[in-house]
Amino acid sequence: MGIHKVDRLAVLLASAALATAPLLFGSTYATGVLTVALCFGMWAASWDFMSGLTGRENFGHALFIGAGAYTAGFLNVEFGLSPWWSLPAAPVCAVLFSLVLGLPTLRLKGPYFALAMLSGAAVMQNLTIIFSSYTGGQDGLNGIDPILNSPLAYYYLVLIFLVATTIILKVIANSMWGTLLRAIRGDEASCQASGINVNFYKIASLMISAAFAGLGGALYAHYQLQVGPDLFAVVLSINIIIMVYVGGLGSIYGPVGGAILLSVLTESLRAFSEYRLWVYTLVLIFILFFMPQGLIAPLWRRIRSYVA
Amino acid sequence: MMALLEVYGLNKRFRGLHAVKDVSFTLQTGSITGVLGPNGAGKTTMFNLLTGFIPFDTGTVNFDGQSLARLAPHKIVNRGLARTFQLARPFVGMTVLENVEVACLAPRVRGEGKAGVRAQALLDQVGLGEKSRHFVDVLSYGDLRRLEIARALATRPKLLLLDEPFAGLGAGEIQPLADLIRALHRSEGLTILIIEHKLREFMQLVQEVIAMDFGEVVAIGTPAVIVRNPRVVEAYIGKVEFDAPGLATTGDDVGTA
Repeated sequence: MGIHKVDRLAVLLASAALATAPLLFGSTYATGVLTVALCFGMWAASWDFMSGLTGRENFGHALFIGAGAYTAGFLNVEFGLSPWWSLPAAPVCAVLFSLVLGLPTLRLKGPYFALAMLSGAAVMQNLTIIFSSYTGGQDGLNGIDPILNSPLAYYYLVLIFLVATTIILKVIANSMWGTLLRAIRGDEASCQASGINVNFYKIASLMISAAFAGLGGALYAHYQLQVGPDLFAVVLSINIIIMVYVGGLGSIYGPVGGAILLSVLTESLRAFSEYRLWVYTLVLIFILFFMPQGLIAPLWRRIRSYVA
Repeated sequence: MMALLEVYGLNKRFRGLHAVKDVSFTLQTGSITGVLGPNGAGKTTMFNLLTGFIPFDTGTVNFDGQSLARLAPHKIVNRGLARTFQLARPFVGMTVLENVEVACLAPRVRGEGKAGVRAQALLDQVGLGEKSRHFVDVLSYGDLRRLEIARALATRPKLLLLDEPFAGLGAGEIQPLADLIRALHRSEGLTILIIEHKLREFMQLVQEVIAMDFGEVVAIGTPAVIVRNPRVVEAYIGKVEFDAPGLATTGDDVGTA
């Protein structure tokens, strides 16, 4: 399959735009906002890879994010390991969580997987508070070392990870693997009748999704230099789902765009102070009502049909 | 000839309902056999038991000399036993070609060349070649049936189970589909087990009939013998005007009789 020329050009242009964005604003604050936006991009893309393609909604993506972030925090703060160790360790930890929750529930029909993810994240949030002597409770783990000292350099590191994540997930989604995942969304019984081991593909795609979410969590932890129980919060999971829908379900790149757009929008609405949530919600209602297929992916498909 | 499928003492209960009761039969390699019976006779349940979609309570199912007991559906398909569904179940939102590609990725056939190429060849074979780029959402009922058959063939089955392939088809669609099934049997040497209600086409198609009623096999024999069997006539055929020697003149759908 591979990636079409036009899409390659789009990836280059989008990456270039993201690379110049912090230079245009030129403030550490703006660079920080954009770094967080890129982390959301990784989380949205990884959610979309599993849930957008197979149709099994994950209502607790924050579980993988928190697992990755706390892994980074523990290794760095408690064990004094170099922050670079977080990058391989966080995905591994997130994948372990995906197995614990995915293996028993993904084989069942019905809402068990969605509910298990939702409650799994909630349980972890409570556990971080209960075991506060290890986790720092509500205060979380503080004093995490940065991976790179310059905020701008770190922004570019996260950008490289986001672009790589998006390309990897998109290439898999465009391959025969992606066809199988979309077939699972279509009809599981027909997949089985076609000789496809549905459970294997669902669990494997959840593991991949968890790995990239955990990596994003670690990158986020080394930007904030602090991790807290909110990283497991339901509202984080829900925000990611909203970003995916705004971007365009199942397209991988759409959710990345949706995540960056909504993260930046949230920050730029600070001018509205207490009306901020009102404005944000109105924008969301507008987008989801008038563009139920999402904003980014359908827009790109339209542009693409003119160019290619 | 040798036995491809041996079913012995197959039983399935759903709470109080004895849906499949002591069913035993044998299919020879290269045969084409029908399953006849009124609605609720346990035909589709039996298909689900043979293909692993529902586990059976007791009995043995030997396929190609190996037991199929407690195997997952996808494993049974990869042993060479494929099925179609009574209500066509395409992968909605995907193209006709992609629908067949999925089955070309089954472990049993993954090594047989590019999925796209194989899928297109199979679609040509069932007469859907020109619609391969269409989305399945726009296909007619008859085309969906052909798609189901192409998808099943993609796994290169030794035995193909067809669950009411003619149900819901228009008069003009039945004969071509019957010809396709006949061609698969004759030229590919495929062993076929077929559930059907459309009596005329069905009886002309099959060599042997397994008649079922209330979950039990009530008779097994050639079509000509089956339609004269008193238990079959009582259970099923006796309820409609039926002139046994004039099989070819009774083309009604007696499934709801």
